[in-house]
Amino acid sequence: MYCRRLRRWGTLSSWLALLVVAVGPAAAHGASLDSSRETIAIPAWLFLLTGGAAIGASFLLASLVTDRALIDAIHGWRRTVPVPGEHLLRGFLQLVGVVGLSFVLVVGFLGPELGNANAAVLLVWVGWWAGFTATTYLVGSTWPALNPWRTIAELLPSLNRSYPERLGAWPSVAGLLGLVWLEVVSPVADAPGVLATVVAGYTVFTLVGALAYGPETWFETVDPISRVFRYYGRLAPIAREDGQIRLRLPGTALSETRLVDGLDEVGFVIALVWVTTYDGFVATPTWRSLADPLVSAGVPALVLYLLVLLAGFGLFLGVFVLGARYSRRLAGTYLSVAELTRQFAPPLLAIAAGYHLAHYLGYFLTLAPSLATTAATPLTLLETVPVLALPGWFDGVALASVLLGHILAIWAAHATAFDLFPGRLQAIRSQYPYTAVMVVYTMSSLWIVSQPTIAPPYV
Amino acid sequence: MTTDHYDVPTDDLVHRCEHCNRPFAEDELLTLHKGLDHPDRLDDEELAAFDEVYDEETDDLRRYQIIAVGAIVLLYFTLLIIYALI
Repeated sequence: MYCRRLRRWGTLSSWLALLVVAVGPAAAHGASLDSSRETIAIPAWLFLLTGGAAIGASFLLASLVTDRALIDAIHGWRRTVPVPGEHLLRGFLQLVGVVGLSFVLVVGFLGPELGNANAAVLLVWVGWWAGFTATTYLVGSTWPALNPWRTIAELLPSLNRSYPERLGAWPSVAGLLGLVWLEVVSPVADAPGVLATVVAGYTVFTLVGALAYGPETWFETVDPISRVFRYYGRLAPIAREDGQIRLRLPGTALSETRLVDGLDEVGFVIALVWVTTYDGFVATPTWRSLADPLVSAGVPALVLYLLVLLAGFGLFLGVFVLGARYSRRLAGTYLSVAELTRQFAPPLLAIAAGYHLAHYLGYFLTLAPSLATTAATPLTLLETVPVLALPGWFDGVALASVLLGHILAIWAAHATAFDLFPGRLQAIRSQYPYTAVMVVYTMSSLWIVSQPTIAPPYV
Repeated sequence: MTTDHYDVPTDDLVHRCEHCNRPFAEDELLTLHKGLDHPDRLDDEELAAFDEVYDEETDDLRRYQIIAVGAIVLLYFTLLIIYALI
């Protein structure tokens, strides 16, 4: 996104050093917080090693919890939350969604042409993609009600053609990868006109799709945005289960089996994890130095970006399936590799959410005042747009959310394994390959986070 | 749900649960599975077998946990020393 902040290496390092202390025996918090004020500069390899070690240690700690009754109690805990006026609330959200969509289209085309002074651009990226998305995994997904396209599509007639079942969720995987590619290579993130055109195009495409196959099929199966929020909502502490709004512990629903049904849906989970990495990777100097010779050799930049997006997705999916293969062998189980990938994919959503929060929480807080100010007078260009200056220690929050996402994923996979395998040691052994993959993944992601952020080159 | 839950090699000896037909590679795993998933349908003999296998597994688990705790301590102090030296 256009306002990625340069991260300060020293602060990151000292926060990581602090986290190591926290991962070990619970040390006195106050004292260690105070001593971290002086910045410790540590070499990059040690920074990455520490991150990897934090994940390895979390796996070892989780593997000490072998009491099935305790795990079941944690994952089965539910409280019903009575929501008064649910219908009114739903109607209100639907109204907000449709008004928001019209706002983006009108202000995008007619408002100021400067990205960070245009309320439509700020509403889409700051309000919706950063802020709203965070609420779907931190609180609960309200997207089915808010989704303006669904609200409109449900008012329109539908041809109800039968959806080709063999395609499964693959169209939504392609849609997600396509949207991320578009976001990276086009000025959609800071040119209001381009953004409004893309939103208009998406609106037409979605409404035609819903018209052909029915809103239910379209938004449950094909629409990538609905699927993103539905999957993120699985992490959330509040969700609708069996027609009631219920409270549960965050992340505990990831060990349930009913979320992911086939390799297509596994593919979507992997795509969600991969695009957060891709988004960060193409903004590193390393990517520029890799792309330089290829672009000068005549490879079109747009094609190069697409190839890397697809190759990376293939690599992530391949590594995950390979992990399932090893897991199957180590556990000595007759469950198929396909079944293992389905069972162990949902925990990865916690990783994707952790990265999302790391990328966008600071971004959201910094630009929320801009959104509020520009939204008041959306069609006039303001001389100055206020932004919030975040304190230096805020980088630590980003780092903590990356690690927390991984730790939650490790725990959810641990609980899944205990649910799946009768042997306790068997369940622990099945997690070795996934833990190895996560350690490598954390280290490469921390490496991306620690690189200076540049604008993606050639686009 | 898809139907490819299991992938059973044809030449192996397969232990199948008589209650839910789930295949297992080892008899011990089948015994554990029956005790955990179908506790109400076991006779006294099967219950005793489950207890025995479960206790044996607990011993193995203790050994694993000692190694795991050792690994955590090792990891922690290795990093601590690296941080002290750098």
